[in-house]
Amino acid sequence: MSSEPRPTDGDTTVIARTITRVVVPIIMLVAIALLLQGHNLPGGGFIAGVLTVTGFALIYVIYGLRYVEQELLHRTVVPRSLPISEGAAETDVDPPIIKEFGEIFTVGLALAAASGIVAMALGFPFLSQGVWFLAGVPLYGHMEVASALAFDLGVYLVVVGGLLTILAVVGAE
Amino acid sequence: MSEHVVVAPLVVALVTAILTLGTRRYPRGQRAVSLLGIGAYAVAVLALASRVVPLGVLTGSGGTTETLTYQVSNWPAPFGISLVADALSAFMLVLAVAVVVPALVFSALYVEEFAQRVSYHSLFHFMLAGVTGAFLTGDIFNLFVWFEVMLMPSYVLVVFYGRAEHTRAALQYTVLNLLGSAVMLVAIGGIYATVGTLNMADIARRLAHAGEFGIDPAPVLGLGAILFAVFALKAGIVPFQFWVPAAYRAAPAPIAAVMAGVTKKVGIYAIIRLLFTVFGTATVGGGLAPARIAEGLGFGMAGKSFLGLFGPVLFLMAIGSILLGGLGAVSRNDLDDILAYSSIGQVGFIVLALALAATGPQAVRTAGLIAALVYSLNHAIAKSALFLISGTVYEAVGSIRFDALGGLSTRRPILASSFFLGGIALVGIPPLTGFFGKLLVFDTAGKAIVAGEPFAGVALIVALAGAVLTIAYVSRAWNRAFWGSPSDPVTRSYQPTALVAVVAAFVLLVAVLGIGFDPVYRAAEAAAHAATDRTEYVEAVAPEVIG
Repeated sequence: MSSEPRPTDGDTTVIARTITRVVVPIIMLVAIALLLQGHNLPGGGFIAGVLTVTGFALIYVIYGLRYVEQELLHRTVVPRSLPISEGAAETDVDPPIIKEFGEIFTVGLALAAASGIVAMALGFPFLSQGVWFLAGVPLYGHMEVASALAFDLGVYLVVVGGLLTILAVVGAE
Repeated sequence: MSEHVVVAPLVVALVTAILTLGTRRYPRGQRAVSLLGIGAYAVAVLALASRVVPLGVLTGSGGTTETLTYQVSNWPAPFGISLVADALSAFMLVLAVAVVVPALVFSALYVEEFAQRVSYHSLFHFMLAGVTGAFLTGDIFNLFVWFEVMLMPSYVLVVFYGRAEHTRAALQYTVLNLLGSAVMLVAIGGIYATVGTLNMADIARRLAHAGEFGIDPAPVLGLGAILFAVFALKAGIVPFQFWVPAAYRAAPAPIAAVMAGVTKKVGIYAIIRLLFTVFGTATVGGGLAPARIAEGLGFGMAGKSFLGLFGPVLFLMAIGSILLGGLGAVSRNDLDDILAYSSIGQVGFIVLALALAATGPQAVRTAGLIAALVYSLNHAIAKSALFLISGTVYEAVGSIRFDALGGLSTRRPILASSFFLGGIALVGIPPLTGFFGKLLVFDTAGKAIVAGEPFAGVALIVALAGAVLTIAYVSRAWNRAFWGSPSDPVTRSYQPTALVAVVAAFVLLVAVLGIGFDPVYRAAEAAAHAATDRTEYVEAVAPEVIG
């Protein structure tokens, strides 16, 4: 954590930035909990995805759009379309992170569809789900592994990828 | 127990959509995946169709149609989502294949490289998945979901070129359909609250014995009317037709072809499924206001069944569509505009046959459904081909406005003959499929007159007027765009050989199907029986669990 004040897109207060640092990990944790219990308890891929995106949205609002790319992923970011003047020369290519969001979306869809097709390969109808009960897992003891988790994970990735793409694209405008 | 053949078309379309999304970096690979996917889709649909309607039924040498069901996720019938493939679903799926395969091949040659790479192929396949799901589902809420899957890509595809007029058309289209979807969801919720189930077979079973299940049919009638209005919106029937011309003009030509050919037919299919299969045996008490009005108009006993009550409404909508579509098309100065208005009018003919079927006795009912299905098939192929031809003309000449066209028949003879063939298929000249479509509609009207249906005579006159209007606008389009001396842009036009080959091959289908019409008729007959045979539908799904 660098101590110098950092120029951001807007002026956000120290309070907001500090609280964001505390809150975002909690949001992510809750999101993961919702994702894992979603197959038979309140929760699921969709709501977990939405919650994750709210965490990212908070970072975007408080720290600015480029923070994720520059500080978290250590990338050099090409400034995109900010000076709208002489727009002809401006590159029309999406910043890499948007492409990655799109890939998250694709992978999620593929995962969800694949989880349905695997059931077909095993001789069950499309999208059939099963559950394994594991006893005697070290530390954890009794454990359930539901195949629905794969589908939920797919939904989660679709929601995260889709919403982040929207946030990043609309946010850049 | 799992008959994967039922779900195969759906899975193929979904997987292709995802694969084309994943191969965006490699344009050639993406196009190959997309075309292979549509081929696999066609194979899957034909495999399913040949299981449901065996070849023997088509050739008339015996054999019986089957109704295949599939419980997605293995949940039993009224709780889980059923997919039901009967002869009606199979007919509509084959119709979809006949349109989407040429449309996609055309797109691969027609749409700009960059646009194809970004999203076109995946959107196309997602739309196809939505269409397939809507045709296959046996669950009314699931039908809503597939409608949404079908509509969302189509919003993007309408706005595809992204200029002001496209944005305007897409905004109108999107807002209307979102409204429609919201209303549809409310109606489905209401049906669930009154009938206690969402499974179509289960709804049909419970409504047939409404008293035993303690269901008051009156609210179901109202909620059904709301659903019907939403389906009419998708099908673009008067008074819900106003989004049609702008949206078809804005969309790229192959998308306009798919929308006119296939997604409209999803609305028609939903109307047939809802009114004839689900509500087919439902009746309301005579005391209800709509029943009294129907009785007052002379619909007699029929006025007490749901179908008899929807009949007059269908009838008015059909008359409105035929006249408005026909008159609108006569006065347009642009190929796409004519085709868009014409498709309003042509759907009117389909609805007219349905209206006669709804109010008539069993013989007229079957005849009307057959007429509606054959007409749908002809309209799907002929209208889609004409939209593709209009796209080819735009590619070759750079305009589809009549003031820039003229004399195409001398410069581009194959293109012109394709248009001619598609045009006279719309008009209904033997031996094309359009002739049989019109013939069957007139025949149904005749049968209805014999059966003493009120307004059947009016139906016949309106159908005749509509046919005359069709002749008028088709010959006008032919005269303005294809005959006469070539205009400057036409003289400077070039020959997009591949596109012309695709449309010529496609439009020949109306002649091929018209000459070999017997199997088409038998398939439509099987589909009409499937639509009205509720016992078989209910037994196939077997939602017996709760009494």
